[in-house]
Amino acid sequence: MTSHLGLMALFSVFVSLVFATLMRDEPPEQLRFGAKLFAGFIGAGVLIGWLLYPLPL
Amino acid sequence: MRAAAVDQVEPAINKFLVVAVAWAVPGGGHLLLRRVQKGVTFLVALTLMFATGLWLEGRIFPLGFDLSQPLVGLAAVADLGIGLPYFVAKLIGQGAGRVVAITYEYGNAFAIVAGLLNMLVVLDAWDIAEGRK
Repeated sequence: MTSHLGLMALFSVFVSLVFATLMRDEPPEQLRFGAKLFAGFIGAGVLIGWLLYPLPL
Repeated sequence: MRAAAVDQVEPAINKFLVVAVAWAVPGGGHLLLRRVQKGVTFLVALTLMFATGLWLEGRIFPLGFDLSQPLVGLAAVADLGIGLPYFVAKLIGQGAGRVVAITYEYGNAFAIVAGLLNMLVVLDAWDIAEGRK
């Protein structure tokens, strides 16, 4: 659980949960929005990780 | 967008009290305003996030602004955003932080972001108390 990916996923769960609850009122909407946020966090993290892979040049 | 729960009769509660409770207990303001689902979600998620930060050996930054270390002061303000859990953690001797721990920076990020998110939750509770949501 203390791997970089595991901690990023855990962090994303918490932040997505809070933002989804803040920004949507109905639980089904919260679930959908939270899932999108979570996927966005993980996708962006993996993408940026690969973009930074060749650095330092 | 208005909550479905807004159809309920809003309790007449002092909005400054709502803000104070919302800051002290994550989700407490929403619970006071009878937004139970949101309140419980914030209570569990933010408290767990802050506790995770401590478990990861993050540091609870001390209050008091030192000009030579402005980021420490800002981090302390962010940590303080979580409310009572900040003081409880200090009281039971948690949050000393272990700089050499591999998870130290992660722990700081969890604790700081939990505090900042609770500040957003406080603003949301204020909006509800004002009748804007």
